[in-house]
Amino acid sequence: MLLKLLQSFFKALHSEGAPGQVAAGIALGSILGLTPLLNLHNGVVFALIVLLDVSFPGALLGWALFVPVGCLLDPAFDWLGQRLLLDTPALTPLWTGLYNTPVVPLTNFNNTVVLGSLVCALALWPPLFVASRWGVARYRATVAERVRSSRLYRALAASKLYAAYRLFRP
Amino acid sequence: MIRWKAVGPLACFAALGLVAWWLFADRIARRTLETVGSAALGAKVEIRDVELRLARGRVAIRGLTVASPFEALENLLQADELVADLALAPLLEKKVVIDRLAAKGLRFGTPRATDGRIPGSSSGLMDRAKDFAGRLPVPALQLATGKIDIARLDPARLETPAAARALGARVDSVRQAWDEGLAGLDVSATVDSGVQMAERLRRAKGGPPDLKLLGDARRTLDRVKQTGTRLTALERTVRTGTTLLETGVAGLEDAKRRDYALGQTLLQLPSLDAADIGAALFGRAAVERFQRALYWAELGRRYMPPGLLPKAEAGPRRARRAGSTVRFPRAGAYPAFLLRSGELSFQLAGAGAGDRAEPRAYAAQVAGLTSDPALYGRPATLSASAPGVRAAALLDHVHATPRDTAAASLAGLTLPELTLPQLPVRLAPGRGSATLSFALAGDSIRARWSLRADGVRWARDTAQAATAPLGDVVWRAVSGIPSLEVSAGLAGTLARPRLTVSSNLDRVVAERIRALVGDEVVAAERKMRGRVDSIVEREARPARAAARSVTADVPRRLAAERARLDGVRRTLEQRLKDLTRLPGIRLP
Repeated sequence: MLLKLLQSFFKALHSEGAPGQVAAGIALGSILGLTPLLNLHNGVVFALIVLLDVSFPGALLGWALFVPVGCLLDPAFDWLGQRLLLDTPALTPLWTGLYNTPVVPLTNFNNTVVLGSLVCALALWPPLFVASRWGVARYRATVAERVRSSRLYRALAASKLYAAYRLFRP
Repeated sequence: MIRWKAVGPLACFAALGLVAWWLFADRIARRTLETVGSAALGAKVEIRDVELRLARGRVAIRGLTVASPFEALENLLQADELVADLALAPLLEKKVVIDRLAAKGLRFGTPRATDGRIPGSSSGLMDRAKDFAGRLPVPALQLATGKIDIARLDPARLETPAAARALGARVDSVRQAWDEGLAGLDVSATVDSGVQMAERLRRAKGGPPDLKLLGDARRTLDRVKQTGTRLTALERTVRTGTTLLETGVAGLEDAKRRDYALGQTLLQLPSLDAADIGAALFGRAAVERFQRALYWAELGRRYMPPGLLPKAEAGPRRARRAGSTVRFPRAGAYPAFLLRSGELSFQLAGAGAGDRAEPRAYAAQVAGLTSDPALYGRPATLSASAPGVRAAALLDHVHATPRDTAAASLAGLTLPELTLPQLPVRLAPGRGSATLSFALAGDSIRARWSLRADGVRWARDTAQAATAPLGDVVWRAVSGIPSLEVSAGLAGTLARPRLTVSSNLDRVVAERIRALVGDEVVAAERKMRGRVDSIVEREARPARAAARSVTADVPRRLAAERARLDGVRRTLEQRLKDLTRLPGIRLP
């Protein structure tokens, strides 16, 4: 698992994709990590990651990085979901309408953790995208070459996963 | 920018998902039903297999076993097969609407090999039912053995001293208020001025008319009358206060009776009243049945709540936090769950000779079972009838105050064996009749359980007989009685339920115990009462005396003042009358 994480990390940073593509992948992957995985909205996010020209390793990196963050923040997500679903009467007509609309309830939006985490993930998406793009650009400009020539990177790049990754690289 | 080369793999991935659904949906549904059912009932729900045919809107559940949440090695029910016809459109809203459910081969109370109860999984409902049962006092039918330890009577648990202190404080404040009221009237000063004025009028009689004197006399008379009016108001206050204090004194007696009862409980002295004997013999059996009925009613209320407000419930179990899942019912929309109608075939022990009679098949109907009764708009009903069996239940959660009623009667069936608590005596009622009715409206509860059997067989547990001193007494009293009639009633509220139990054995057992140990018990009770008296009377007697003193003294003083005032008023009026009757005088 750790090895895969490292592979994802370096491959995302050193991929031929533009920093924006890697950052978009990380930001989309963060949605998978922050919200409970087995939900319909994550199917949509996964389809976006696969179909859009964003970095797939970046998405894997974002997912891997934000899974523990999501678990740690679950109490906060639960609290936020409670506030939105139960303690904000102004939103009740919206939730009632969505709850009684076909397909929408299959997203589990009416679960406090799912809604709270999704709202947080969507709110974090723009700043995370900007920060990731800046971070990737800075990395490539400063230490990328040294890392690329290191033995650890060469060992990772030679692994089987690299071949699979190349299928989805931007 | 679309990555077109990924469309193929994504389509393959989606196809794989569909294949996985096709392969594992039945298993997932079975696991989900088991998990949800177990969590809801507080007992294991096991299913042999589930067959999902969503295209045809049909789900078949085979080999359903639901463990009893009450008994360790007993199943609540088993079903060979349940076939549900689902409405497909609501499934897109994640709602389950079953148009028709057919259940075959239902069996109740079958044995199981392992304990199927899941402690703490019914969201506290079982604990609530147990708390309720704990509030129903069931006296113990046992004798105190050895020296009676009266020192165990903790004075802090007695009610009377606290009530006496409260009464004493009330007496003090009332006495002070009344004294101040009487002093404020200053009756003596009014009477004195009235007497002086009467004397002046008497002296003026026969002399020339003095209009100023007459005016002064009228003012004095008015003052006397005003004081009389205020005295009347004070008398009214005193009468009300006296009634309250007398109620307080009566309350002391009630508290003392409760203290006697507490002392009796602590000393484990059996009462010799027939009603208590009935409660001791069959109270536990009755409470057990009422507790079960309440559990099911509470379960219904938990999962079929009234109203259209958003309803939160625990989210799905997963590695991450479950959170709460909120339902948002809307008028005119589908409920989250609805069973429009169900037909159940079930089996009960037959009415043939002996306990090994072949089970007989019966049929029942259920309708309107829904998670959102306000949306469905009609109460849920369940009915079953067959020769010897009648059962019906109505769960009306349509309105704000839920009302649950149920009634069942069995006749001509073999009734289950009963054990008399703490006694080495068991009874097998054999074939007989039993009825249970239960009504829960809001938090008001009313229930009745009755049992009647004419071929009772008694059995004695000889191993336990040596340790139960009353066992022999009860055995000798009841073993020759061929019939059994038990009636138990429950009334009141969930917070304050009242239980009454009677049986045809009560009088017999009570007389037997009275004949054998009545004197000892009565002496022990007297001793206990003496100890209670010695503790409570230290505070109750002064409080009672103070209350009686103030309720006797103040009215007497008021009466005396009233007499003085009335006397002076009459004198003044007479004098004025005498003066104004003189010819030639016209009063202004």
